[in-house]
Amino acid sequence: MRFINRDTIFHRLDPRTKIAMSLMCACLIVVLRMPEGLLGLFSLLLVTFTVVRPPFSYVRTLVSLMAIAVIFTVISQGFFYYFEPKTPILTFIPENSGWIGKLTGGLAIYREGLIYGAIQSLRLCCAMVLSMIIVITTYPSDLILGLERIGVPAKIGFVVTVSIRFLPALIDEARRILVAQKLRGLNVKGVRGGFVALRYLLPPLIIDSLRQARRIALAASVRAYTGERTHIRTLEFSRIDWIAAGLSTGVMVFLIFFYGGL
Amino acid sequence: MIKIDDFSFVYPGSGKPALEHISLQAEKGELILIRGASGSGKSTLLYCINGLVPHIFNGNYSGRIQVNGFSPSDISIRELSKTVGTVFQNADSQIFMMRVEDDVAFGCENLLMPREEIIRRRDGSMKEMGLWEMRTKETYKLSGGQKQRLAISSIYAMGPEIFLFDEPTTDLDQDGRKDFFGILTQLKRGGKLVILAEHQYEEYMPLVDRVITLHEGRLVSPERAPEYPPGFLQGYGKENEVVISCKSVDVAYEKGETALKNINLEIRKGEVVALSGRNGSGKTTLLKSLAGILRPDAGVVTIFDMANPSLEMISGRVGFLFQNPDEQLFAGCVEEEIAFGPKHLGKRVDVERYLHLSGLSNERGRHPQTLSRGQRQLLAVTSVLAMEPDILLLDEPTTGLDDVHWMHLFSLLSQYSMEGKTVVYATHNRKAAGTASRVVHLDDGRIISDEIYQ
Repeated sequence: MRFINRDTIFHRLDPRTKIAMSLMCACLIVVLRMPEGLLGLFSLLLVTFTVVRPPFSYVRTLVSLMAIAVIFTVISQGFFYYFEPKTPILTFIPENSGWIGKLTGGLAIYREGLIYGAIQSLRLCCAMVLSMIIVITTYPSDLILGLERIGVPAKIGFVVTVSIRFLPALIDEARRILVAQKLRGLNVKGVRGGFVALRYLLPPLIIDSLRQARRIALAASVRAYTGERTHIRTLEFSRIDWIAAGLSTGVMVFLIFFYGGL
Repeated sequence: MIKIDDFSFVYPGSGKPALEHISLQAEKGELILIRGASGSGKSTLLYCINGLVPHIFNGNYSGRIQVNGFSPSDISIRELSKTVGTVFQNADSQIFMMRVEDDVAFGCENLLMPREEIIRRRDGSMKEMGLWEMRTKETYKLSGGQKQRLAISSIYAMGPEIFLFDEPTTDLDQDGRKDFFGILTQLKRGGKLVILAEHQYEEYMPLVDRVITLHEGRLVSPERAPEYPPGFLQGYGKENEVVISCKSVDVAYEKGETALKNINLEIRKGEVVALSGRNGSGKTTLLKSLAGILRPDAGVVTIFDMANPSLEMISGRVGFLFQNPDEQLFAGCVEEEIAFGPKHLGKRVDVERYLHLSGLSNERGRHPQTLSRGQRQLLAVTSVLAMEPDILLLDEPTTGLDDVHWMHLFSLLSQYSMEGKTVVYATHNRKAAGTASRVVHLDDGRIISDEIYQ
């Protein structure tokens, strides 16, 4: 999952505009109570997602992630909905069926739970589409520069850049260690095997990351890194930024006013 | 430009000095080669010139160092980096940005140069270092040689007069090394002072003005390193049965792997085979297919009469060593590490014997990750050997080894092959490939030659 170099309206927006839009969106995800509002937000995000023209593999990943989120949230909320009133639509163990009913408090699927689960999963899906749009359309260095310009300390920005750059290498390394374990006869099947694998995965992974971190630190030192830095890349607010920011604010006010459930 | 006068340095917590009574002078336009075994103080000497000692590695030092008239201890590393540029072995850990041109600019940005100045230097450096065509390329897509070229270009943009190279070509194949030769020529022509610490320096000798040899932190007069005749590892496999065979094997491109096309290969018991070729030629992909780690998309890899076996089916009978030893050391101490494989396979083996073979009997209680790089490599090899596999596959086993550890590794392999076991290793190093009894050369995913030495 990484930045894709394309020329769309969203790619052209200043990262600061995108940060502001994400914050508004995050705020809406939390505040909106009525499902119609969330649905509206979700469809807006989906429209944006098509505008940035993601490759098919990204769409597939997004759909499967959303499916998992929806299934788990709806089922778990359906069974374990806590609030009253709740209407059972399918009862597995009635509450008054002797000791087992008393012990479990009854096991049933509740209508209100399903609805609540659907709303919650809609929130999760919104967050997923949003983060994917940001990742696809923003060149990491620009995002960091944007964060810096709105007051996030430069050192934190640098740490984030370096993490983005080295995370894939770390995942590859973990994969190789797991294969090496198998080749040395370690049984990594099942839950117990998983724990054993983890026990022998972490020490080399952590020690090697520390070693790598030290190499990176030395290399940064000789490249004169001290935290203070001028940026060759520049950010500029253009007209489309003002329009995008204005539109998003309008949408936010509209959604909160009509569907906020305040 | 550099003047070192009776300089000694001891790392904190170490009883032994890393450098002792070093005196040295170097002038503009010179190319100086530093040689010496791992731990002889090559890197430390470079760190003393670029200011990492004492600013990052503090310890006790005596004597004087002057770089361009300044003492490195008196000015900051940043200030010093305007005069002294350093390039390390691992190109990957020297790249910070996602795009080539941004990475070249990074050092200048840190020096707080004005924007126009940075752009001028960045573009100039990319043109001179041959990166102009790939300036907008993502850095993770570069080959090993290109990454090292980028690391050098980024330093070059900062405009130093002195270049320090700490084993810059260890991870590079023949093409990358040839590339580096060109860069050295260019730096020399530009009147820069270059100090190069490197194990394998033979091909750079035409450019070298002076050779300095370090031994346990002292300057010594040079002596010749041991050489191996071709075919040093005598395979005893000419008439033996076939243990691995590939029939019209195709492996499709996977992330980070080169695709293989129509590979036909038979390896007999007792053979010592080197898979040679440049980086990206497909030798690692082939090696992984021979170990059952990658399954072929077409064709059949037969290992001990099993067609396309899974890892579990051959675990214990085929030993595999990845390039980085650190990803294969899991246990709490050296002794446990050697016993790890046999224990999980339920095999009883003489751990003592393998401890002895690894040359680490005196370090048996130490944590594997605290050993030196060469020792870690030998331990990783021995830990695989201790499982007493019939076939041993190794990926770039000589990376980062000095002459002593190199010799130790090949004597281990030689002994093992004499027991009638099969050894296959992938290497981009000509010297390492020449040591085998059979060399299979790959290019672009195909076998282009297969030579057996008598």
